[in-house]
Amino acid sequence: MSRLPKVNELGFFEIRLESIGGLGANLAGKMLSEDGVVGNGLNGVGFSSYGSEKKGSPVKAYIRFCDPETNIRDTTPIERPHVVGIFHDALLKTIDCASGVYPDSTILVNSQRPPDELRELMKINGGTIAVVNATEIALEEQTKVNTAMLGALYRILNFLDPDSMKDTIRRTFEKKYPHFVEPNIRTFDRGFHEVEFMTFTPDEGSMPRPFKRHEPVLGYETQPIGGTVINPGNSILKDLSISRAGMLPHFHDDKCINCAACDTACPDFCFVWEEKADKRGRPQMFLKGIDYQYCKGCLKCVQACPVEALTEAREYNDGYADRNRVPHLFDLAAQN
Amino acid sequence: MSIDVNQEELLKPGGAVEQNIVFESGNEMAAYAAHQINYHIMGYYPISPSTEVAQFLDGMKAKGEHDIVLIPADGEHGSAGICYGAATGGGRVFNATSANGFLYMLEQLPVQSGTRFPMVLNLVNRSVSGPLNIHGDHSDLYFALNTGWPILMARDPQIVYDMNLIAIKLAEDPEVRLPVIVSFDGYFTSHQKRRVQVLKNKEDVQKFIGDPPTSFPHALDRENPVTIGPYMNEPDYINNCYQQSVAMYNAEKVFERISAEYAQLTGREYPVLDLYRMEDAEVAVFMLNSAAEVCKDVADRLRLKGIKAGVISPNMIRPFPQQKLAEVLKNVKAVTVGDRADSYGGYGGNMAIELRAALQTHGNVSTKVINRIYGLGGKDFYADEAEQFFLLAQEAAMKGIVEKPFDYFGHAPGKTENAPQRVLNPMKKEDLNTGLITVTPDEKTGELKVKIPPLRSLTKKPKRLASGHGACPGCGIFSGLELFFKGIEGDIVALFHTGCAMVVTTGYPYSSHKATYIHNLFQNGSATLSGLVEMFHERKRRGELAELGLSDDYTFVMVTGDGGMDIGMGPAIGTALRNHKMIILEYDNEGYMNTGSQLSYSTPMGHMTSTSSVGSFQNGKPFHHKDTAQIMAATHIPYVFTGTEAFDRDLLKKAAKAQWYAKNEGLVYGKILITCPLNWKSKDELGQTIVEAAVNSCFFPLYEVDRGITTVTYDPEEKNKRINVSEWLKLMGKTKHLLKEGSQEMLQQFDQEVERRWRQLRAKHESPYL
Repeated sequence: MSRLPKVNELGFFEIRLESIGGLGANLAGKMLSEDGVVGNGLNGVGFSSYGSEKKGSPVKAYIRFCDPETNIRDTTPIERPHVVGIFHDALLKTIDCASGVYPDSTILVNSQRPPDELRELMKINGGTIAVVNATEIALEEQTKVNTAMLGALYRILNFLDPDSMKDTIRRTFEKKYPHFVEPNIRTFDRGFHEVEFMTFTPDEGSMPRPFKRHEPVLGYETQPIGGTVINPGNSILKDLSISRAGMLPHFHDDKCINCAACDTACPDFCFVWEEKADKRGRPQMFLKGIDYQYCKGCLKCVQACPVEALTEAREYNDGYADRNRVPHLFDLAAQN
Repeated sequence: MSIDVNQEELLKPGGAVEQNIVFESGNEMAAYAAHQINYHIMGYYPISPSTEVAQFLDGMKAKGEHDIVLIPADGEHGSAGICYGAATGGGRVFNATSANGFLYMLEQLPVQSGTRFPMVLNLVNRSVSGPLNIHGDHSDLYFALNTGWPILMARDPQIVYDMNLIAIKLAEDPEVRLPVIVSFDGYFTSHQKRRVQVLKNKEDVQKFIGDPPTSFPHALDRENPVTIGPYMNEPDYINNCYQQSVAMYNAEKVFERISAEYAQLTGREYPVLDLYRMEDAEVAVFMLNSAAEVCKDVADRLRLKGIKAGVISPNMIRPFPQQKLAEVLKNVKAVTVGDRADSYGGYGGNMAIELRAALQTHGNVSTKVINRIYGLGGKDFYADEAEQFFLLAQEAAMKGIVEKPFDYFGHAPGKTENAPQRVLNPMKKEDLNTGLITVTPDEKTGELKVKIPPLRSLTKKPKRLASGHGACPGCGIFSGLELFFKGIEGDIVALFHTGCAMVVTTGYPYSSHKATYIHNLFQNGSATLSGLVEMFHERKRRGELAELGLSDDYTFVMVTGDGGMDIGMGPAIGTALRNHKMIILEYDNEGYMNTGSQLSYSTPMGHMTSTSSVGSFQNGKPFHHKDTAQIMAATHIPYVFTGTEAFDRDLLKKAAKAQWYAKNEGLVYGKILITCPLNWKSKDELGQTIVEAAVNSCFFPLYEVDRGITTVTYDPEEKNKRINVSEWLKLMGKTKHLLKEGSQEMLQQFDQEVERRWRQLRAKHESPYL
């Protein structure tokens, strides 16, 4: 039977997965908790944050492990994780993924960035940062990020047996999707072997990072009665670029015939148009570019484009989207 | 489904019967118990978070693991009807629901308890609300208190399983004969995977529950015809109610009897009250379901500090264990009652009110009762918060007085500087009226002539929906809706039914609707908007809107998914028959995608959803898709159309016509087929390609019905574009199995139905009289 390396005051070893819907963190969490209990003899619980948000929105999965005799009563989200798994480093832009970590927690990040850069980004003092390029592995193996992350997690969670997780992978896929079994085992193995670690010694006397519970922006004194939203259209303030799972469209102005097929296809209204004079001097609409703040990378526009003005491309950490973003010019209300 | 835990290293479960250990969630355990009981019938309707119960049962059914007949209803009212009808037939009946769905079936529940037909309903607790909230609290449960159904509580997945086995036996007991509710917390219990002990053999389950008693009349005994549900006035009615009241109180002692039997069998014992460290407790917290468990950890901690803390959580709240509670509180100085729902205006949640009544009835005037409303709409309840509940009790015990007997807990005032301020200016009238779209009736024939510009010119027109909504990548809803809206000039007031489009555009405090928008639950949007339409015209007639600068009429659009046209069919038809000046626009993604892809009546035959699983014993949805456009055409409204974003100009023209009809003649119904990449299991980028193939296969013909006259607006055969349905089906993961060997018969059946409907439509196109 597995022995947990450390536990909190209630006897739990706690893992939090931070992800965006669609990368499979929910399933990874289920498989991880299942394997800990079924395959490794621990007691445990696994659950996810559930909401109305869909694929592409931030989600969390939680796993608690304890000795088989320990009674599990706590149903609340994990605030002080021993291990955090971040499924997409773009999350670091908008979410404090490292909230509540201990000075010696391990944070696994799916990223192309080096550990010290990630440490800066997450503003953590000490602990271990593990990095794996799970997106690359998943794209190469035609699988999902989650199995690569599980592979890397099993290097960190060395009290769990990787072979038993491979059995769990088999059991999960073999009935419905038998052709996914082998690619997923490969993906798991690559995650396991390709993850790299760097440990940072915390500054003397540094305290565990405080966890910040989500606080609503509004309250009973400021919320208009009945839940009415009196500033509709305010969703333009959101940044949805984290929804992209590795791909995005590129726009080639010189090839565009301004047919608006992309504008019809785009579910997220990312295409920005401007009125200019055409060759004969008459006012006409011209496609100016893409507002990548809202682009979720579905690539419907690339499919719809009758010429080659839109092409699909991998998204790297090279700032392409920021550099080439053409922001919408909204008719903003004056805010005094 | 259920995964066996390796038991070698674990303590053997107690009890006389052989048991297994599985690792599963509360919903799974409700389904697991149901499949072991092997109910005859389940009539169900999807609603979060209970939906999974039917899904798991469907999955098991596809593998041949049980014989339960699973009936997908048209709504919860329908599902309750199916269950009631089935129960009158003397067999075993099961259901699961939550929240507003529970309220929609509420009317049926006293009918069933009053006529005394047992069944088991799992109520997966969730908030009953407007503004919509899908998370766990007890506001649905509190509506159950007066239905006449005994209510068993389950704090974790183990108890969900156990209570389900006890519930059916309790319901059928000759001294009870009442339908029974098993209540557990949405998400906290329904979706958390835990280690659970289960009876290993179905035979042992069957032996425990026994055969249903045969001594009661039912509807399927020809030698003993009976009248079920007579018209009963006073003085008889009160006697029926009295019988029911007696039966309800009987349920407490019958529960104790069954529970003792169950304890012998399994080693797990459920007294009426779950008491934790109450023997010598001076302060206590009273709480229902999962949050009580959190309090137990805290009681342990407080005990270490010398505070005599305990936790009370009833395993049964109907009948309310009044005397037992009075007994256990006899020496307790103060108790904080946490109610996870309010009884607005009652100076307490229902549990606090009933607990105070219990103390008063049994002459306890010394125990102080503090009440707090907590955890509404799924707000987590943490250990440090539970500690505050104990502190409240301690304070009252010390002071001998309760300073604030009733309050909310966990609500926040908010900061003035964060108060909402307008972000966008309202769209400009002149931008919305491009003048580029014209609809003119022919002077002689009255036939509408539509002119539309190139789509390029319409990119200048503001989009009605704002970027920043939370739909999945590649979602077809928004491209479909916006294309339709592009064809409409001027202002729109929209009502969206519950569904993906609603949920992802209005996650508070955000909204992606630039113009005015309303939500109502998806059985009732048509009626709701028709009310607003008439209010508009009447206020306009009375001159009340002049000062608001209203120069043009609104175009009123009710947006629904295909699910909303199942559960909302009645109000939609009523609205059509009344012929209000508005548009009903259905986005059809062939299923209940918002709740996790359950089958709707619009799901085509053979398609895989989470309630039409594919396996050796089942091959996707067993019956044909609903032809909603033809149903609506049969109401003889002025205009009916179908469209997709793959045929942009076709849909744009229809939108322009729809607006003209809705302003001049009355109701319009339109159906647009849109892609759901997530649940169609298709590539995000192929959205248009798939719906185009659906049109070209003649599964989804593009046509319109103008004042009863049918015109096919795009004929794939004429254009030489007709493809076989399999060419369309191969583009989606949800239909891959239909192209495999063994599915030929079903595929052929589907193909023939598509062809028959297409030929019929062609005939209508040919003749103005069809």
